[in-house]
Amino acid sequence: MEELDVEPAITNIPAASDGKHLGFAWGPGDILAYETLYMAPGSGCSFIHEVRKDEDIYSPILRKLFNESHHIFVGLQTIREDLPSKNKKTQLVPELNYCLELSSVLVLQVSILLAIELIWNLCEVLFIDAAPAGPLLLHLLDWVRLHKGDVDEKAREVLQSESPAEHHDYWDVVVSYVLQGRFEEARQMLVKQATLQPAARNMYKLMDTLLSKMPFYNPGGTQTLTEFDVKWRHWHEEVDRCLQDNSFASNQHLEIICKILVGDEDTLLEHKELLSTWYHFLVTRLLFCHPTVKPTELHYYAQSCMTMFLDLRSVPEPLDSILLAAFEFDIHQVIKDCSIALNNWWFVAHLTDLLDHCKLLQSHNLHFGSNLREFLLLEYASGLFTHHSLWQLAVDYFDNCPEFGHVYLELQIERVPLDTERKALKVLRICEQRQMSEQVRSICKIMAMRALRNNRLGSALSWSIRAKDAAFATLISERFLQDYCARGTFSDLDLIDNLGPAMLLSDRLTFLVKYREFHKLYEENRFSEAAKLLLSLITAKIAPRSFWMTLLTDALPLLEQKEVSHSAHCALHCGFGHDLCFILQ
Amino acid sequence: MVHDAQMDYYGTRLATCSSDRTVKIFDVKNGGQILVADLRGHEGPVWQVAWAHPMFGNILASCSYDRKVIIWKEENGAWDKMYEYCGHESSVNSVCWGPYDFGLILACGSSDGAISLLTFTGDQQWDVKKISNAHTIGCNAVSWAPAVVPGSLIDQPSGQKPNYIKRFVSGGCDNLVKLWKEEDGQWKEDQKLEAHSDWVRDVGWAPSIGLPTSTIASCSQDGRVFIWTCDDPAGNTWTAKLLHKFSDVVWHVSWSITGNILAVSGGDNKVAYTL
Repeated sequence: MEELDVEPAITNIPAASDGKHLGFAWGPGDILAYETLYMAPGSGCSFIHEVRKDEDIYSPILRKLFNESHHIFVGLQTIREDLPSKNKKTQLVPELNYCLELSSVLVLQVSILLAIELIWNLCEVLFIDAAPAGPLLLHLLDWVRLHKGDVDEKAREVLQSESPAEHHDYWDVVVSYVLQGRFEEARQMLVKQATLQPAARNMYKLMDTLLSKMPFYNPGGTQTLTEFDVKWRHWHEEVDRCLQDNSFASNQHLEIICKILVGDEDTLLEHKELLSTWYHFLVTRLLFCHPTVKPTELHYYAQSCMTMFLDLRSVPEPLDSILLAAFEFDIHQVIKDCSIALNNWWFVAHLTDLLDHCKLLQSHNLHFGSNLREFLLLEYASGLFTHHSLWQLAVDYFDNCPEFGHVYLELQIERVPLDTERKALKVLRICEQRQMSEQVRSICKIMAMRALRNNRLGSALSWSIRAKDAAFATLISERFLQDYCARGTFSDLDLIDNLGPAMLLSDRLTFLVKYREFHKLYEENRFSEAAKLLLSLITAKIAPRSFWMTLLTDALPLLEQKEVSHSAHCALHCGFGHDLCFILQ
Repeated sequence: MVHDAQMDYYGTRLATCSSDRTVKIFDVKNGGQILVADLRGHEGPVWQVAWAHPMFGNILASCSYDRKVIIWKEENGAWDKMYEYCGHESSVNSVCWGPYDFGLILACGSSDGAISLLTFTGDQQWDVKKISNAHTIGCNAVSWAPAVVPGSLIDQPSGQKPNYIKRFVSGGCDNLVKLWKEEDGQWKEDQKLEAHSDWVRDVGWAPSIGLPTSTIASCSQDGRVFIWTCDDPAGNTWTAKLLHKFSDVVWHVSWSITGNILAVSGGDNKVAYTL
């Protein structure tokens, strides 16, 4: 992309020593590199290195992912245009999420895939659901909860212990629940502690009340956002009063929870370990400080939370910049950053396609004039083409790239190795369905040549007929005739006898078929017809010169047949005379 | 010292050529490396190899310091010399097969300044056309234009042989990039592109993606890589754009199959990708 303002990644080729040059050649999905000295003979390393992109596509789990997403992609292209974005999304995204679950089985790829899932879900919330202030926070809460699975694990461990309230992780679990806005569960946990401390019952009762009364915005309800805000501020003041009154002063844990509820930043930051990420911190902070946050305000909070949370020393990772770009609603930046960070176009291609179908992507013209969606799909599909079976998925992607899909397919499909006849037929069918006549011709020609080299004349002939290649058909017919002269019999009789109108492709072929027909008639003792046919063959002059003697020799026995009509006799004699003159010339 | 390595059309075979005067062919299917043939026939370092289109069978061309171009063919599992061309007076530096639409035609560039065009006419016969003095001092590289029928946006009636215009580009020691066109069976110099200040080492004509534009890449001893584009279908006005100036000689340029990436090899030992 022309706008790429980042230094391209450098791949080092081992063993390229000083003073030598690096030669290279393109392979189907890779580059070959070798040490050399241009235009100067010499001795040196004779190794050739193969430089390849990280080969995700060969992993069996990811193949399943690619297959599933292909299925979804094709479905999305045919979905009705007038369907609102939400419907499109709800129909398709759950299937994609399922795939992501599947793929998390592959340990090595887990971190990348989890990151992808995180980004994808956030994009859903922000771009596709496009929730306004009010529901926005609720969706963000869901998002954070979805990606913080360790809380439930810890909780399970605590609850399964002898005395949960005395478990060393107990308070961590309670606080984690609170941080995620899961008050029901927090309250249930607190009950266990309350029963152990009857003396502090009133304190626990108060906390329980506070937790139960926190207002959550109900998108389906009749309450307006303003009304909700008023209610929330009221509650917030109540919590603050409890703090000022030192209601929880004697219980350090409850005091901490109270401070969290009031949104005290320092307390929140003290729990970095439980929050574990800046975006959890962001959502929690919003929950307790500004639950009516508007989408347009998100980026401001996101930036400040990231700064507060991350150490001065730590550098934001690619994932962080991608999420930040999402919070800024900068779709293009998200796509650009993902393209750079991830080594496979799969994610960005499908994300962009989905966003494009939801009409969220403005047309963004690139170098070749094709738009962003098409560019990414072309890159992704080109990558698939190097795989021995996934290339078939790529065809559908190319089909749905209106500008360059067709020509890309033309260029790539010629490179699919035609290992078996079956594969060749598969490739052919794809080409024929798309009126790619050049490629059809080329493939048939290749198969015909191959058959000819292996002396499979029948196969070679059918391929050249399919290619509509007259010249080649002539060549093969000659071979058939040569064979006949050498052995006295024809091969592949089935084929020759049933060619039908295809025999008209070339004169030589027509002659071959008719000549064979002549033989058939003769064998069936239909001498009259045989004679007529032979005559027409001679007079039509489509017989190759080399064959004239043979034809004349064939005619001789006919002249001795009584059934041959008188006129035919004369005609043959004349024909004879005519041709004898020719031969004698 | 390997001087060139080329994958065949399908990426299943690899041909390499070397200072040791041999051309070797390997089977590289499924990550394997099996030596299939060791072709001997050259009497000097072999500079380049080129695979012909599979529809003609398994055919490989090689060119060498020994002034010869040899065309090898695989017949019944064995590789043998199909044709040997000795018409040059100096090292042959580059060979390139034309698009299969033109039949089997090979362009060869030599240090004697000439470019030869070898066309297979059938029955072990080759027709030779020579462009003498194509580049003074020597020709270093040749590359064919994709087969495009003039007015190809309109369908040709089937069965009729399309009227192709054969074109190729060459680079030489006269610092020039030249375009050649065949007219009435004769090869004529069509364009002279000047931009380099030293020997042109390699040229590459980008594959066609259906647009009426043509694109050529050239690289030179002067460290520069130029991209030449022509917007008019007649092919008359070419504009140069400097892609990059490297700190050392740039030896080799090569376009990917779909022409969206240009790979460049320079004397400072890097292979750079550009989009």
